[in-house]
Amino acid sequence: MFRWPSSRTAVVGIAIAVSVVCCVLPVAYLLTVSLSGDAFSALVLDARQRGLLFNTALLGLGTALLATVIGAPMGLVLARISLRRKALLRLALAAPVLLPPYIVGLAWTYLGSSTGWLSALSGRELPLAWTHSLPAAILVLSLVFYPVSMLATEVAMRRIDGRLEEAALVVAPRRRVIRRITLPLAAPGVFAAALMIFVLSVSEFGVPGLLQVRVYTTEVFTAFAALYDFSRAVVLALPLLLLCVVVAVVAAALLGDRLVASRRSSGTRSVRFDEWRRSATAAAIAILLVALALPLAVLLGEALGARSLGAVLADSGAAMVNSILLATTGATAVVSVAVWLGYARARSVGRLGQGVDILFVVLFAVPSTIVGVGLIGLWNRSGPFGVVYGTDAMLVLGYLARFIPITALALAATTRYVPVSHEEAAAVSGAGWLRTMRRIVLPQMRLGLATAWVIAFVLVFGELGVSVLVAPPGEATLPIRVYTIIANTPSSHVAALALLQIAVIFVPLAALGAAVSRREAR
Amino acid sequence: MSTPHLAIANISKRFGAHQALDGVSLEVASGEGVVIVGPSGCGKTTLLRLIAGLDVPDAGEIWMSGTQVSARHRSIVPPHARGIGFVFQDLALWPHLTVQGNLDFVLESAKTPRASRGPRVHEVLSLVRVQQLSTRYPHELSGGEQQRVSLARALVGQPRLLLLDEPLSSLDPALRATLRDELARLRRALSLTMVYVTHDMEDAAALADRVIEMRTGHIVSMTDGHKRDERT
Repeated sequence: MFRWPSSRTAVVGIAIAVSVVCCVLPVAYLLTVSLSGDAFSALVLDARQRGLLFNTALLGLGTALLATVIGAPMGLVLARISLRRKALLRLALAAPVLLPPYIVGLAWTYLGSSTGWLSALSGRELPLAWTHSLPAAILVLSLVFYPVSMLATEVAMRRIDGRLEEAALVVAPRRRVIRRITLPLAAPGVFAAALMIFVLSVSEFGVPGLLQVRVYTTEVFTAFAALYDFSRAVVLALPLLLLCVVVAVVAAALLGDRLVASRRSSGTRSVRFDEWRRSATAAAIAILLVALALPLAVLLGEALGARSLGAVLADSGAAMVNSILLATTGATAVVSVAVWLGYARARSVGRLGQGVDILFVVLFAVPSTIVGVGLIGLWNRSGPFGVVYGTDAMLVLGYLARFIPITALALAATTRYVPVSHEEAAAVSGAGWLRTMRRIVLPQMRLGLATAWVIAFVLVFGELGVSVLVAPPGEATLPIRVYTIIANTPSSHVAALALLQIAVIFVPLAALGAAVSRREAR
Repeated sequence: MSTPHLAIANISKRFGAHQALDGVSLEVASGEGVVIVGPSGCGKTTLLRLIAGLDVPDAGEIWMSGTQVSARHRSIVPPHARGIGFVFQDLALWPHLTVQGNLDFVLESAKTPRASRGPRVHEVLSLVRVQQLSTRYPHELSGGEQQRVSLARALVGQPRLLLLDEPLSSLDPALRATLRDELARLRRALSLTMVYVTHDMEDAAALADRVIEMRTGHIVSMTDGHKRDERT
């Protein structure tokens, strides 16, 4: 006899179905196409492909290394040194990861141009070959992604049970305790973050595209968007997809349950390094100057030459409004699906839960241009699928595909702050699951949900790799607009638009920061 | 009169609004076993952490073998130079090191020559009867085995003072009784000076030369352990 599913099964089931359609199907489609074609040829690399693989791997390795060198010590600083206004400092140090990478790349090209600040300071022109090069791309991406390493290191250091360090302090001096006990215990988290940075950088499209570095993502884009060669795009996508998936699986396995675990194991005070406060403050300020203040100042310097802000807005006002509307819709859609996936993950245990974590990380690691090509292959056809293709819904599908997995992981961690016993108590009191969620669980996750929405908004607003492929003709988001006018528009105009984009990103972030401050003050 | 091994003079410690210790004084003679009992939050663990140098006192002094090791708001001798072994309540075995590695770290930190470390580790593991577990990691051990390894780690550096913070509290009664007897045997065999914190009177009866009772940051009584044993 047919029985209606419980409300929990139905809601979580719908969320899973949406995420399968948006995140899994495009990748599965690409894999199927490549395997049904001459898949073997995709994996036997010709000289051109080997060059691409070398450049891509070098970009990933270089960025992972440099970002870790910058970020991991800062994580140590935030975890173990008492600093004034630490919450604000953490927010400022983390801010670069929220800047669209291609905008930082844009600032870099202005900085290193013949009329840029570096040339003015050094008294001679920087060669274009260096400004637009693989090392430059590594530098730019490291300045964007170091917060990933910083935050992961801070979390890893804070998770270390203080008693393990105290037990060592009884027999060894502090430097030795740090070297032999603290750092080895934090190492898996730091290494996993480095792997994630590797994946993020080899998946990046905007910066290598802007700095004319030939890597897989730019070649996939060129094959599809410039040469209209879908099969070549698929062939190029396969090695990159495999590389990202393998590295993501290793990273997720290394992190294990820590991806969604939310509490420290002990309240014992950890070993502190307050005697390094001055040098730590100086290092933090130096990083902030280079990674945040310098790009903004360079863009501001360029933008001051714009005819007028009115003219800039008149040219790109539609794209700006379109972007804000799409980002609002996209972030809401992403959080609406991810909250139930996060709930299901938080309440699942054992190998199933860890398997889901790995799947989320792998799906997040799929490069944006590959997601774009997969979505087009899947939806660009006659029949009901064709109704969606060519509309703004494709952009929303792209946002869902890219950001559901990472948002779900974040919300799983938030859900774990709500003890299961709270749900059980509500159930015993006679409340159904939906009522329990609405009245008991979700209200306790308010700040986490708001944070997830703001982060999703920022990510969606700056999204370029998928958008540039799936946007309907004539429809442009602000990132697409900025990216496509760079070559043939005065730099002052482009810089002004980039600054406007940053301003829009920082409005919800500032609101969130104020909400967090109010909560901490209480 | 000979210098006490440990002398605590008028020690106080406050955490925010909570006065954890308030003018506590205590002397422990060399080879003496002192058991501190009292309810949760009475200041037992705080006292142990001050002796180890993991916290500094707000007032008072701590002396070891005639040398001042702690003063007001100041640690004069760092924890690793005080010659102590510490068994933590949750054992705090380092999860990324094997049993041998856990013990080896102590000897390496004490600059013990490499050649003599292996035999010493084996000797101490044999003493606590877990010599066959040297290549295992902490998560591969049972609760009782972890307890023994933790004790071995505290003993391997030949400490002049052994501090134990409710080391048996997480064990079932049978295992607890076994390990309590083992600890008493080791203390006699090694003539250890020991400060043992517990809220269990059976531990106190088995291990104490002297039982000190604490309440709300004060010492409220000191009893000869054997007399107490006879009373109970």
